[in-house]
Amino acid sequence: MADVLNVGVNLEAFAQAIGAIQALRSSVSRVFDCLKDGMRNKETLEGREKAFIAHFQDHLHSVNRDLNELERLSNLVGKPSENHPLHNSGLLSLDPVQDKTPLYSQLLQAYKWSNKLQYHAGLASGLLNQQSLKRSANQMGVSAKRRPKAQPTTLVLPPQYVDDVISRIDRMFPEMSIHLSRPNGTSAMLLVTLGKVLKVIVVMRSLFIDRTIVKGYNENVYTEDGKLDIWSKSNYQVFQKVTDHATTALLHYQLPQMPDVVVRSFMTWLRSYIKLFQAPCQRCGKFLQDGLPPTWRDFRTLEAFHDTCRQ
Amino acid sequence: MGVTCVSQMPVAEGKSVQQTVELLTRKLELLGAEKQGTFCVDCETYHTAASTMGSQGQAGKLMYVMHNSEYPLSCFALFENGPCLIADTNFDVLMVKLKGFFQNAKANKIETRGTRYQYCDFLVKVGTVTMGPSARGISVEVEYGPCVVASDCWNLLLEFLQSFLGSHNPGAPAVFGNRHDGVYGPADTMAQYMELFNKIRKQQQVPVAGIR
Ligand SMILES: [Zn+2]
Repeated sequence: MADVLNVGVNLEAFAQAIGAIQALRSSVSRVFDCLKDGMRNKETLEGREKAFIAHFQDHLHSVNRDLNELERLSNLVGKPSENHPLHNSGLLSLDPVQDKTPLYSQLLQAYKWSNKLQYHAGLASGLLNQQSLKRSANQMGVSAKRRPKAQPTTLVLPPQYVDDVISRIDRMFPEMSIHLSRPNGTSAMLLVTLGKVLKVIVVMRSLFIDRTIVKGYNENVYTEDGKLDIWSKSNYQVFQKVTDHATTALLHYQLPQMPDVVVRSFMTWLRSYIKLFQAPCQRCGKFLQDGLPPTWRDFRTLEAFHDTCRQ
Repeated sequence: MGVTCVSQMPVAEGKSVQQTVELLTRKLELLGAEKQGTFCVDCETYHTAASTMGSQGQAGKLMYVMHNSEYPLSCFALFENGPCLIADTNFDVLMVKLKGFFQNAKANKIETRGTRYQYCDFLVKVGTVTMGPSARGISVEVEYGPCVVASDCWNLLLEFLQSFLGSHNPGAPAVFGNRHDGVYGPADTMAQYMELFNKIRKQQQVPVAGIR
């Protein structure tokens, strides 16, 4: 019976209160019956009025009496325990047929889960906000107001500016040649040839790099109709791996206000693959692991590691 | 194609050619290499006919005409240390017509046949070298597809070779030194096979039982 006490309901007073409500309802309906019936036939008009008013008064008095009684009882009933964590749904625990309708225990479980979920979601959102993967400035602000403002400055750069940035990078690295084309409107596509080691197709959106595919020096990078093939992957596992790492690098190098610095950092990182087949792993000292050379390049030191040897 | 290294694997002590080949292929399969059909490289030797020799009495040059199953539509003609001609397979017919100038030394025909294995980006071919009816040695070819410059990936190739050749340590093929940064091509592979065949021809016939 502990549960009942917890709920804090005086059951006897409760039953009386229900009775009082019934009494109140009937007395109220008597008032309206009286009003509906109006003045009954009496000998004199004065008599009729007197009798009506007397009746009406009686009925109102009984309404008043019943109402007072109900108020008194409702204080006795007590509040159905507002400090119960589940409020009124806590009353489900009173259900005597737990086995058939285990609503209450299910409700408690669901409540616990939703609490946990909220807690973890809060933690995750805090962490993710610290390391945002969004690369363009127009997505940085959480407020909807900022978005339309940021867009024009970073996403709509004149093609001439993009050309200048790319040709400056091209001149910076002699062993790297960059060929820029615009087969689909304003977005630039780059074909980067690194020594005699590899070729990289870079799909740009303004000065942001959208996609990169790394292929071998001796692999075809064009489709049958002579366009850059931006969809098919390399036939060699080593370049498929480097493609994965290059995609990771795109997410790593981000500085939304200075997209040209990002492109330059990415190209500097990419240039370290000139020794793809010549550099042993800086951790295990070997060339091969599972048939692959060290395909990972550290983002800061540019040192070569096997995928599984990097920290 | 990538960079290829062809080397001769010595026959293991107390084993036949076939047993050594089996030992090698088992090691490759343990490594995780997958069988991918067979291969064949053959080589015929042609002498410059005596009638065309210069009056100074210079020694006749040898020309080698080779085929490689990796390039089924091509025929390779090589001089030792000389140029390599890559032609259509019709070239064989032409050589018959030129028999006044080049004579086929039929007894010198040599070939290697065996199984092709794929491991990651490596292509490995282990073959038995035969001359006439007798097995004369073992050839091991390793091609690393992604790389096109021989000097770039020699160390990497060597590490891979050592992972299944055991104690045998092949030196860098001579063609690797020829062009330091040139793009490696099929002719370079054929030159390596030519060298390997010449070396094996000069060796004594392997005096063991259980050959083919
Ligand atoms: Zn390593």
